[in-house]
Amino acid sequence: MKQLVTPAIILSRTDYGEADRILTLLTPEHGKLTLLAKGVRRIKSKLAGGIELFSVSEITFIKGRGEVGTLVSTRLIKHYGHIVGRLERTMLGYELIKQLHKATEDEPEAAYFTLAEQAFEALDDASVDSDLIKLWFAMQLLRLGGHTPNLQSDMAGNRLDVAAVYDFSFDNATFSSNPRGRFTANHIKFLRLGFEGYPPGALMCIQGCRQLVQDTAALVSTMTATYIRR
Amino acid sequence: MANILLLEPDNALANVYVKALEQAGHNIACCVAAEEALSVLDDFMPHVVVMELQLTGHNGIEFLHELRSYPDSQNIPVIVNTNLAPAALRPLLEVLDRDLGVRACLYKPRTTLQRLMRIIAEQARG
Repeated sequence: MKQLVTPAIILSRTDYGEADRILTLLTPEHGKLTLLAKGVRRIKSKLAGGIELFSVSEITFIKGRGEVGTLVSTRLIKHYGHIVGRLERTMLGYELIKQLHKATEDEPEAAYFTLAEQAFEALDDASVDSDLIKLWFAMQLLRLGGHTPNLQSDMAGNRLDVAAVYDFSFDNATFSSNPRGRFTANHIKFLRLGFEGYPPGALMCIQGCRQLVQDTAALVSTMTATYIRR
Repeated sequence: MANILLLEPDNALANVYVKALEQAGHNIACCVAAEEALSVLDDFMPHVVVMELQLTGHNGIEFLHELRSYPDSQNIPVIVNTNLAPAALRPLLEVLDRDLGVRACLYKPRTTLQRLMRIIAEQARG
């Protein structure tokens, strides 16, 4: 049978029999793969090093006749080791992988693989705020799922005004002008950059970033709860 | 009598816990690192795990995720006994409880040996 080679990120690991494990991996070209990794139970296998979480590995696999293929070999390409240097970051890393696993269909596009890589990159960088990473990640899941809010025009179809203040309507995913609204041009600009896919490290450079994260977190989290499979 | 897996990187403290647990009639497997504790699980299935979160190499959160990924260790009661300050531990508590099945989280500097032994005994009894 033909062996295929691809970069891959581990999404989940479960047991299979005495010594084997079933891995679910995210790849750029083959979507999600479910592979049997023989003899990797716990830490004794030579394969084990290449199937670390928070890593990108090059894997060689054989597609099975059924749903489960076989993992032949792995080679670690990049391990984001600083993620596990802080407990809170490790916890967030597991949470993001879980969200990604649940949010993606069987054949996710390559952009989800890039998202996982960017998330690891951000988690690995201690200078990037955890709340920002969480928010940014949710924005990307919404964007990739086709649920970007309307950040260009208001409910009446007018272009969003720099001097105006807005409220957000979840029914239409659109802002509406309201003198007592909670969102200013700065919030909308921040959301635009976030939903355009700027990485967390770049968003950190925006003046007042922490406050903007706090102010927009509820909006993004409500949209995520509505549109993203959890 | 129960099998207790103790994951404690501080050797002096580990010796104190091992003595106390042995006096209480338990069987102990004592490890200093997550990798070692995972390999011990193949031969020593514990009734209770007592562990520090701050470890060298793989940390305690990684150990717990790995532990819970095996069907035979999914329901083992875990007691976290850690030096991590309560303020740092607080944001982790929900996930430790909800997703990782941690039954008790103790702040080591404020936990007496008697209290730890009592909680282990409670968890060992089921």
